[in-house]
Order: sequence, then C-alpha cells, then structure tokens
Amino acid sequence: MKNTVKKYGIILSIAMCIIIIYICTLLGVASISFWDANKILLDQIFHIDLGMENISDGAIAIIWNVRLPRIILAFITGGVLAICGAAYQGIFKNPMADPYILGVSSGAALGATIGIVMNFSSSLFGMNGTAILAFVGSFTTILVVYNISRVGRKVPVATLLLSGIAIGQTISAIMYLLMIFNQEEMTQIMFWIMGSLNGKGWDQVLTVLPYVLIGGVIMLTSVRELDIMLLGEETATQLGVDTERLKKKILITSSLLTAAVVSVTGIIGFVGLVVPHIVRLVTGPKHRVLIPFSLLFGGAFLILCDTLARTVAGQEIPVGIITAAFGGPFFVYLLRKRKQGGA
Amino acid sequence: MERLMPKVMLDFKDVVSGYGEKDILKGFNATICQGEFVGLIGPNGTGKSTLLKCLSGLLPVKSGVITLEEKDNTRYSQRERAQMIAVVPQSFDIDYDFTVEDIVLMGRNPYLSYRTRESQNDYHIVTEAMWATKTLPFRKRLYNNLSGGEKQRVIIARAIAQEPDIILLDEPTSALDIHHQIEVMELIRDLNQKKSMTVVAVLHDINLAARYCNRLILMKDGKAIVDGIPKDVITEPNLKKVYEMKMFIKENKLFGKPEIIPLRVIKESEDYRSLRIHVICGGNRASQVLEELEAMGHQLTAGVVNQGSDDWTICDVLGIPMIEESPFTAISSEKQVKNLAVMAKSDLILISDLPFGHGNITNLNGLEKLPGEIYFHRNCLNNDFTEGQLQKRLEAIKKHKTVNEIDDHQEFIEIVKALTLIEDK
Repeated sequence: MKNTVKKYGIILSIAMCIIIIYICTLLGVASISFWDANKILLDQIFHIDLGMENISDGAIAIIWNVRLPRIILAFITGGVLAICGAAYQGIFKNPMADPYILGVSSGAALGATIGIVMNFSSSLFGMNGTAILAFVGSFTTILVVYNISRVGRKVPVATLLLSGIAIGQTISAIMYLLMIFNQEEMTQIMFWIMGSLNGKGWDQVLTVLPYVLIGGVIMLTSVRELDIMLLGEETATQLGVDTERLKKKILITSSLLTAAVVSVTGIIGFVGLVVPHIVRLVTGPKHRVLIPFSLLFGGAFLILCDTLARTVAGQEIPVGIITAAFGGPFFVYLLRKRKQGGA
Repeated sequence: MERLMPKVMLDFKDVVSGYGEKDILKGFNATICQGEFVGLIGPNGTGKSTLLKCLSGLLPVKSGVITLEEKDNTRYSQRERAQMIAVVPQSFDIDYDFTVEDIVLMGRNPYLSYRTRESQNDYHIVTEAMWATKTLPFRKRLYNNLSGGEKQRVIIARAIAQEPDIILLDEPTSALDIHHQIEVMELIRDLNQKKSMTVVAVLHDINLAARYCNRLILMKDGKAIVDGIPKDVITEPNLKKVYEMKMFIKENKLFGKPEIIPLRVIKESEDYRSLRIHVICGGNRASQVLEELEAMGHQLTAGVVNQGSDDWTICDVLGIPMIEESPFTAISSEKQVKNLAVMAKSDLILISDLPFGHGNITNLNGLEKLPGEIYFHRNCLNNDFTEGQLQKRLEAIKKHKTVNEIDDHQEFIEIVKALTLIEDK
C-alpha cells in the first residue's frame, strides 16, 4: 500500500503540478477567454495553430511573457525554499529551521535596500542592480556567520544558529536605518522585503534555473547522509559521515540557492518552514522522498499563493503576505502539537 | 580459546584527552587483541566514555597514540573507521519516524558512496543482522514505538550491519531491566564468540562485567590501574583504591566469577567513642548489627562461630577477629575458654538473635564471671532447641549479673549510640 503510494506518488504529484501551472496560467485580471488562452499556449508550446487571427498581441504577451514565466518562477522559488528548508531542518536537527535562519534574508534585504536607495540600474546576467546587491548581501552574510561560528575545523550547530540570529538582527538594524534616511523609497523597499513575483519574466527564470538544477542534484546526493544526521552528529560521525563536510556542503548549496531566488523575488516567508513539515507528515523523514516531494509541493504551494496574490484583490498583494497568512497559523499548530507531545 | 599469535587490534599509548582545557584521560595504556571481550570499569568521570569517544573519532587525542589495526587512528577517515568500529550508545532516542529497517540500513553507510544506492547485498546483510538480534519480526515498525530492550537490540543490529572488527559499547544495559540486561549481554557475548568480534564495553555494573568479559580494565583518574582477568581485578584491595566503599566480594558459585556486594560508603570519622564489643553469633541474623557496629567504629570481636555460617562470612569480610569452630561441629570447651578470654576484655557483650542447640549452648558458659555488660536478644528463646538448657544457663548468669534484654538488634544499636555519643561542647 505505502509502496504504491511512493511509486505513483511522484508521478501523480508531477501531474498535479502541471495541472496547477496550466490552470493558473488561465487565471488572471486581464480578461482573456479560456479558449483564447488555450490557443495561445498550444501555439507557443507545440506550434499548433488553431486560429490566432482574433487574438491580440497583448493577450499573447500576457499569457506567454507575463503569466507563464511568473508561474514557473513561483514554482522554482517555492520548490527551492522548500528543499532548502528540508535540508536545514535535517542538518540542524531543528524543526524551526528555515532557509532564512542564518541571516540570508537580512543580508539580501540590506543589499536590495542599498540597491534601491542608490538607484542602481546596471544589470548583469539578467539580474538588475538590486538583485545583484541582494545576492552579494545574502552570500556575504552567510560567510560572516559561518566564520564567526567556526571553531577550528568544526562548526557547532548551536553557535551557527545563534550567530545567524545575531548577525541577522545587526544587518536589519542597518537596513532600517537606511530606510529612515530615505523615506521616499520606503514603500519600494517594503514591497521588496515582503516578496513579490510581480513583473518577473523569462530572464529571471533563466537566472535562477542553473542554481536550482545544480543545487537540487547536490541535495539529492546527500540524502542518505542527511537521514543519518537526524540521529545526531555524534552518531552520524560513528556511522562514517563526515559531518563537517556535509554541513559545509549543505550550507553552501542552500545559501547559494536561497540567495539566488531571494535576490530575484524578495523575501517570501514560511514556504521553507511549513512545506517540509507538511510533506514529512505524509512521506516520513527520509530525505530521498522528502526532498523531491518538498520541491513539487513547495512549488505548487507558491503558485497557488501567487495566483491569489495577483487575482484576489484589485491590486497586487505581495505574495509574502499570503504565504505568511497560511504559514503563521500552521506554525502555531506545530508549536501546540510539540507542546502536547511533551517535547 | 588461547590463540598462539593473537592479532593486536587496538593499542593505546599514553593517551591524553579531554574537553577543552580539562584532561580526562591522563596517560591511558592498554593493548587489546582480536577476540577479546574487554570491560572498562571504574567510577564516573574516570574517562571510560572519553576513551570510547577518542577511539570512534569524536574527540581528538591531545598526546599519545591510539593504534587501530596497525595504523594511527587519526589517519583513518571517518568512513574507513566506521567500517572497522561500530558504537552502541547508552540509550538512544530519535525525534523522527524511522522504521527499524531504516535504522539498521544506516549501518551500511560506511560502505556506500553518495552515488550508490543500497544493493541487494546490503539488504541481505541488514536482514542477517536483524535476524541475529531477533529484530526481524518488527522490521517495519517505527523505532520510536519500541521498548527499551528492543531499541537496544536494533542499535546492536545496526552495529552488526556495519560489519566491524571492533564493537564499542557505552553502558549498553544501563537503561534496561534485568531481563533485557542479560539478553543484551548474551547477544554481545555471542558476537564475541561466534563472529570473533573484539568487544570493548564500558560497564557500570561490575557483576555483569565480571560475568561476561574475559578481561577487565579498572580505571581511575584517566588511567588503567588494574588490567587482567575478572578474578584478578575484582578484589577488595583493587576496588578499594577506586571506590570509596566498604564492599564484600565472594565467588558466585553459579558462574565461577567474583561477585561484589556493595555495603556502604566509607564516611568521614564517626562521632562515637569506640567500645570493645563482643557479639555471640553464628546463625544468619547478626550480619546487619555487625555491619552497623563496625561502621560506628567499635572494636568488634565475635565467637564462637562455626565456619561457613552466614555470620562467619560477614565477620570474615569485615575483618572482625573471631573464635572459630569447624563447620557443623559442637563448640568445644577449649574454644569457649578462648572465647571467654576475649570476652573478658569487652565492654559490652551481645547475645545476638540466634538459635541455640546442644552444639552452641556452650557459648553461654562462664558468662557470669565477665566484667562487661550483657545484652540478650529475647528472640533466642523462640529458637531454643536445647530442651530447657538455655533457660537454665540464663538463670545461672542472672544470679551474678544483670542481663539486659532487648527485642531487636536496633535497640542495641540505640543503646550503644547513647552510651558512646561524644557531645560537642
């Protein structure tokens, strides 16, 4: 029974993701009819022309250059945040860990703030100035946190988490200071911090895709060791895991992945925290199953949240608000469950 | 059992290690050969667990060398070491829902690279390991739902799946009830004997250690102070060096191994004046009163006691001077003369709770001439097999002296305490 679920589960989940991508492409504020939208998709993907004469170029652009890349970026972002969260929860053996726990988000936010305040407009590799600064900010933060926590060759997990919080707070303070002195840009900064997929196109998808592919493969090569890590570092060492190397590998991979998506989308919270927990409830703790399912489920979750963000109100809502609206209550539920478990 | 050329598996040379600045191991030396079952014993904080941590690569050695199968332990990678050494920790909880099979399969990790998945052969080894530990029937159950003993067997199965040459155990039985303690120890002995695995186990229970290990290393202050077969290690002088305890060691006839009975912690000097007390005993009820009087620091003597009786054993262990008679022999008047000579010097004489018969009634002859005070346990009258002689003897004594009658030994202890307590002024 459980084996069949495992066998067909992944195929079903992939199918579900494709259906969600398809449906969400059809939904939007711009009124493009169901039939026209399908025609555009068929024409663009399979080059099957079912009569494009009556469809405006504007409609084609909305479906193909606005909605679809945005949805795919949402899928990638959600998936990346979820697998990074899953991996962090594994190596830190801490259910409250998320991809931002080591200050990646604060670093990115400071970088983006500097970019916005200085009105950085040059671009590189399809990233605009703000995104580049955000990427640099988040990766620098990780390096600082890592080196502060390092004792010789070892990086104790507890120290790592604490210095992540400390550095994150310090960096946030600097960011708020910048915001106070640049009140005209405050709204723009706030929107960036809350995270949004608004206005993202194929360029951004292509920017993050290589990170995701390489990072995802690296994650998948570590699944057995991540499982063993859940038994505690000492036991993992005694079972032949080079725990320091594993930690370094996961830290570097996750922070690169997170930095890449955050610099493009801003800080989208709770996906990386909540999704791995929900997936774990269904699949169990083994990373060989947990990581692929987190990717799919995280991706689908963010597509749905983003679709809500762009359709539910007359105005775009930052998607971070929607994910937090779902994630917050779930977090409380987790805490209560832990309390009842006596843990 | 003896091998001509046993292979040296482990060699410790002046090993120093510890946490931070503090040294726990302070020059540990030992050589362990293939197929040995070595027990590390000693009080808390003497470095037994630290030694296992150094060995399994969790803790660096500050100075000295650990040689593992002819190569410096530090030169193995974690993976290589895990192929040779498996560790069974004290007790083990997991916050996540792994099945028994998942846990045992983790034992194959040292043999798998990140690219390869577990092969048919790995599953075969895992199944064998679960079979050997009788964990196969619940392979699909969640580890967290198992009992303590079952969990420990699963962890041992994982260690077996590692196919190690050496298995290290850190107090494997401390969280288990006696049934499971024995079960786990027998399992480990099987591994040692049938698969000739070298076993090094930290054990708190000296009796379990003596029973299962074929070699014991007694540790104190981060060093090995005694090293040898259980019979040579478990002796009072050795254990006294290590444990601040009064103890009693006898041979356990069932296993032919020494067995220790801890009596009490040695206290600072007692606040009692020392008296000379003679106890007439010889049954099996005086052990406690003898032990307590000895603990209070009185100079005890006993007699006449038949060798081999329980009271005799206690006096022997506590080192109380006795007038002895051969086993199952009636007490001769010569012995009683000697007994009287000893009793003549005593401040107090206790006729403890013991049955009187024709064999030992002689013990009461001549008591009326003694200067010391006589205390008599009333319960003797309920165990009188002398056809009235005991009563007559007592009457005879009472004609010359007061015989203080007591109802239990504790009463006597209280009387002695009241007599001898030194009051602080």
